[in-house]
Amino acid sequence: MPSDFEPITLTGSAEEDVSLLDIIDHVLNAGVVIHGSLVISVAGVDLVYVGLNVVLTSVETALRNLKAPEAAESKIERRTRP
Amino acid sequence: MSRLLAYCGFLQDEKITLPNTGVNGRPIEVLVHGALRFLWSEVEWPFQQAELQQSALNFHRVIQHVFQQTAVVPFRLLSLFDDLAALENFAAENEESFVADLERLREYVQMESVVYIIAPRIPADADSGRAYLQQKAAAIRLSGEHAAEVKGAVNGLSREVHVREVKTGSRIFALVKRGDEDRFRKAVETVPVKEPLSRRISGPWPAAEFLSEAVKTPQVASPR
Repeated sequence: MPSDFEPITLTGSAEEDVSLLDIIDHVLNAGVVIHGSLVISVAGVDLVYVGLNVVLTSVETALRNLKAPEAAESKIERRTRP
Repeated sequence: MSRLLAYCGFLQDEKITLPNTGVNGRPIEVLVHGALRFLWSEVEWPFQQAELQQSALNFHRVIQHVFQQTAVVPFRLLSLFDDLAALENFAAENEESFVADLERLREYVQMESVVYIIAPRIPADADSGRAYLQQKAAAIRLSGEHAAEVKGAVNGLSREVHVREVKTGSRIFALVKRGDEDRFRKAVETVPVKEPLSRRISGPWPAAEFLSEAVKTPQVASPR
């Protein structure tokens, strides 16, 4: 899975290589989660419009979704529809 | 359809420079609420799949631009507000907790050391999964021991350390003074990495792991 990504270089106080996987992990999994409205979109289609207490997709799920949007769509819809 | 994508919050400081553009080349806007500043862009929604990876990078770069100058509270990518009024309500409702966290974390950054377990090799003569499971159990134990050693090594230069066991090993988060990143790396590197473990040190990151619960999962005025 990590081999899909090219390492990139960020410039900062301590220059270092940071893999795209690290970045995706942080932008998806670290920080404020807004309770309320959140849309997860894959392949240009709104797949879910989730209500309260949503937890953003994990890195693994995000990467899987990037590779198999159709499979992800059916899985997410099944999970969110009563 | 357009939505408002929030990048991060930070405390007002006239010396801070801002990036011009963010995700999908959209202009960066600033919401001012007391001492708080929120960066946001109006974006077309939904994102296209082909743009998702680039959007993640651009989102990260906006946050990084500000974080290199001061403490930030990052929003997660794909967290959207319907419009500016919704973000203004959000700022008003959560001002106190955001300001408290930003002041508490003002001088700090988050460093990480992740220990991965490299998949154990199955012996050629193995006739069951027993050997594999034994190796895996030993690797998990080793990963836990390594995390405890790293925690001990960085405790002296960290205000706080969190250890999280994950499926692939252990993840250590340390809240260290801005400028102490190299000391952190050197302290971690004093702990040897034994087979079948592998280690990756990263940072500095915004101190998202050390945000208060009130900021991690804040109030929203009009949830859908």
